[in-house]
Amino acid sequence: MTTATVKDERTTQQPAPGSRRDAAKRKAPHRAETRGAYVLLAPYILLFLVAAAIPIGYAFWISMQKAPTLVNPETGFGGFDSFITVVTDYRFFATFVNIFTVMIIWLPIMIFGVVGMALLIHASPGRFGGAMRFVYYIPGALAGIANFVLWVYLLNPAQSPIAFLWLDLGMTNLKEVVTTQNLPLILTAMLFFQGLGTWIVIVNGGLNGIPDEIYEAAALDGANAWQLAWRVKLPLIRPWIGYTALMNLAYGFQLFLEPYLMRQISAGSIDSEWAPTQLGYAFAFTNRNFPAAAAMSIILLVITLAIGMVIVFRSGLFGEAKERAR
Amino acid sequence: MKTTRFPSAAAPAAALAIASAVIFTGCSAGESAAPEQTDSGGKITVWVDPPRVPAAEAFQEAYPDIEIDVVQIDGTVGGTTVKQAFANFDAAGSGWPDAIFFPSNDDIAWATSSSSDYAADLTDLLPEVIEGYDPAVLSFCDFDGRIRCLRNDAAPDVFWYNKAFFDENGYTVPTTWEEYGDLAVEITAEHPDKISGFLGDAYGINRYLQAAGCPTNDRVSESEAHIDLSDPACERATELLATMYDGGALSTQGIFDGDAAAAGVNLVMSPGAVWWGNYLFRDTWKIPAGEMSAVAPLTWEGESSPSAGNEGGGLWGVSSHITGTQLENALTFATFVNTDPRWQVELSTGLPGYGPIQDAWLENLEAEGYFADIPGVQSAFKAAAGAVEPYSYMLYDTGSVWTETVSPTLISGGSMQDAIDAFGEELVNQAQSVGYTVQ
Repeated sequence: MTTATVKDERTTQQPAPGSRRDAAKRKAPHRAETRGAYVLLAPYILLFLVAAAIPIGYAFWISMQKAPTLVNPETGFGGFDSFITVVTDYRFFATFVNIFTVMIIWLPIMIFGVVGMALLIHASPGRFGGAMRFVYYIPGALAGIANFVLWVYLLNPAQSPIAFLWLDLGMTNLKEVVTTQNLPLILTAMLFFQGLGTWIVIVNGGLNGIPDEIYEAAALDGANAWQLAWRVKLPLIRPWIGYTALMNLAYGFQLFLEPYLMRQISAGSIDSEWAPTQLGYAFAFTNRNFPAAAAMSIILLVITLAIGMVIVFRSGLFGEAKERAR
Repeated sequence: MKTTRFPSAAAPAAALAIASAVIFTGCSAGESAAPEQTDSGGKITVWVDPPRVPAAEAFQEAYPDIEIDVVQIDGTVGGTTVKQAFANFDAAGSGWPDAIFFPSNDDIAWATSSSSDYAADLTDLLPEVIEGYDPAVLSFCDFDGRIRCLRNDAAPDVFWYNKAFFDENGYTVPTTWEEYGDLAVEITAEHPDKISGFLGDAYGINRYLQAAGCPTNDRVSESEAHIDLSDPACERATELLATMYDGGALSTQGIFDGDAAAAGVNLVMSPGAVWWGNYLFRDTWKIPAGEMSAVAPLTWEGESSPSAGNEGGGLWGVSSHITGTQLENALTFATFVNTDPRWQVELSTGLPGYGPIQDAWLENLEAEGYFADIPGVQSAFKAAAGAVEPYSYMLYDTGSVWTETVSPTLISGGSMQDAIDAFGEELVNQAQSVGYTVQ
């Protein structure tokens, strides 16, 4: 999270030559500007409070309650008991192993795929590049549920256009294709095709933001297309790659809908508590243990926040790189 | 199938989104001080799954004076949407429907638990109606001697077989479970495409383990369960299943699987609920008339009386949170949907649970003329209810554990013993996770 900090004292630092923007930033802002900044920030702060800070605080408070049991529905202050309940649950580590398995397979494929395709499209001049960008976007334009239904058809050997593939692997019905062991691969394929188009457009936006002077300079230095992509474009769009990784990671950690529906279409042969979010859901609605569900969501929050921080600071997502690329 | 996408807000998980809905009711989660019983002055709200909508409509026609709101709910067996709504109602202390058809029979477990206590005790409210049920049919509603729900339909397992196939090939219908296993292997050896059972649905547990008397759902008290997969009763069921599976006679698919119809038409015999006849064979798998027939449940060797499982057979509950005219109207509704021929005989597809109207429903079978041996089917249906082995609905979902463990283990190359072991282990884990002490 970034918050604008306003300095009151004048800086005496001499701006380095050639960095006019830095100098402008370090000048003491006028009072009106400060007010303007707060006015502009207000909607964000409000939404952040309502949609994030207050629910997180509330969840933390709930997680500190004593969990009611079947025979003793009393509540009170329970300290960290719920966290112990969650961590010692027999499914807790398994759900994280599941989700990390998906991440390890899916995220690299996603990032390489998106960046590679975006660079290829960006290197294709004129109408062809534009047309391809649209073609890649089509699967992403399918809304989540439509994409899901499409995959249900693809995965079912009785209906699939790629049924020969399943039959060659010795799978004759849907239950044999959709198994807990195959789930990471199935989710990878689903999420990849669903997100690819959207993220190509975003990374492409970053590439379009690179000023022409840089290409001219690279051309003068004798860079070929490959070197241009690898040594010039890629470093400049690092923040966009970081953003792609961050958002996909956040999405991946919250996978709920896909495994939940996969369980439905396989008539129950996928574990009902496959992802951490599903375990939280089971705590709340199977065990009626809201404190444990809240504790589970706090644990998830801490993990995603930590990984998010690493990505933000490593990729210079909110740093100067973004400014340079403009 | 209705599904809703969860709001994918920032990191807080889906559960938190729902948990935070509770805050605005100004109640802390899990608080369950029994709220005052309320009286709306007559208007009632009922929740029904899609197949039960005609029951509510028939009620509206029969009692035009009673103001009623009919809400259609997600009827997925093993679904969680209703459970989720009730967890929120119980936390908020308001919002319950006045009567409900529970989508899964397991729902009665949480509806009678002390953390919810939704289902009213009907023992003294509807004594005449309760009188009309065979105690075996109503046993699933009996909690510590109090009747907490009513049964829409009886769903005991009978033994189904394809009479046309048996006559054509000269096979004899088995009378014991052991004969069934051996005959299944023999038939598959001679007709490789034929199968004699399905394993992959949530009722598989009832068809085989419950029928063997295996203690998977043995309620000792509200917080104690007896689960023992090494019991001799479980071992005989495991042996039977292993014999059939190794002989290629069992499908790992479930009867509800979308692509099971292809296998379903090759089913030559199987234990199965009375509703299999109309629902599965006639309407879903489209097996021609005059082929399928049923006999009374099978007996285990060395025993004198037959043993059967029970697959579903829906439960109606009435709210414990209402009183006065509102309660009277809810009870009128519950009485109608369980005992009135205008729904039970004329519209319902299942054998009524309420005794006095069973014969009228059975007579309908003659008019329809679907089964190969109609008098045999009628007597099998009547005999089956008394053969059902004891089984309690628990807060852990036995059917879901079964579908997650048994077929997947077999599909990934495990043996039947591996599958049953995996099932037993997961069942004990689930039971302890929900808060039971397992003996």
